[in-house]
Amino acid sequence: MEEAIRKGKQCFFCLNNVREIDYKDVNLLRRFINYYGKILPKKRTGTCSRHQRQLATAIKRARVMAILPFVNP
Amino acid sequence: MSKAKSGEQPHYELLYLISNKFSEDEVKPIMEKVNALVTANGGEISLSEELGKKRLAYPIKGFRFGYYNLVEFDMMGENLAKLDRALRLMNEILRQQIVVKVLRTAQQIARDKKIAEKIAAKNVAAEKTAKEKVKERAKEKVDLKDLDEKLDKILETDDLL
Repeated sequence: MEEAIRKGKQCFFCLNNVREIDYKDVNLLRRFINYYGKILPKKRTGTCSRHQRQLATAIKRARVMAILPFVNP
Repeated sequence: MSKAKSGEQPHYELLYLISNKFSEDEVKPIMEKVNALVTANGGEISLSEELGKKRLAYPIKGFRFGYYNLVEFDMMGENLAKLDRALRLMNEILRQQIVVKVLRTAQQIARDKKIAEKIAAKNVAAEKTAKEKVKERAKEKVDLKDLDEKLDKILETDDLL
């Protein structure tokens, strides 16, 4: 799951021209959290600052709606 | 996430979660109830969609499954708090979330389409080069085998020294 991201060090959202990150897209967001459900740092994923901020809010919104877990024990 | 200009009605997106104690036939009336609530608060619904029954990431009030429903609407900002409160008081709904959605103009959508096509073309080209590389590597491997055989032949001959 994480290897696929690490290959390219360029921002995934910039490459694919994503303007706004949809918080309902589980499969996309799952690539940017680790097993425990924590948000991965941009150092790890290569996401740019602008999209990392958007991504963080999207993941937090998804957590409220039980789309993503808060913690994975 | 920019605020809409004054006078214009901002576009909102509401996602709510109906608990699993209702059967699929019972979800529809609840949906209609929510839509009625939105229109009662001065909202104009542009999209109402069922996202279906899904497993929750964590149990809420003992429920492990729930029905997700999506509503998009235009509404004046002042009524939003009222709508949120009304939804919060509905027992059928476990969670709800209202988010501002920025609508894209037709021009922007067209531009995005063009860029998406370019990206797709690029990806196809990248795949092709990757495949060629794999082929080249396979060739190299064959070459190595030949080399080994040649080496063996040389070693087999007695007049090494």
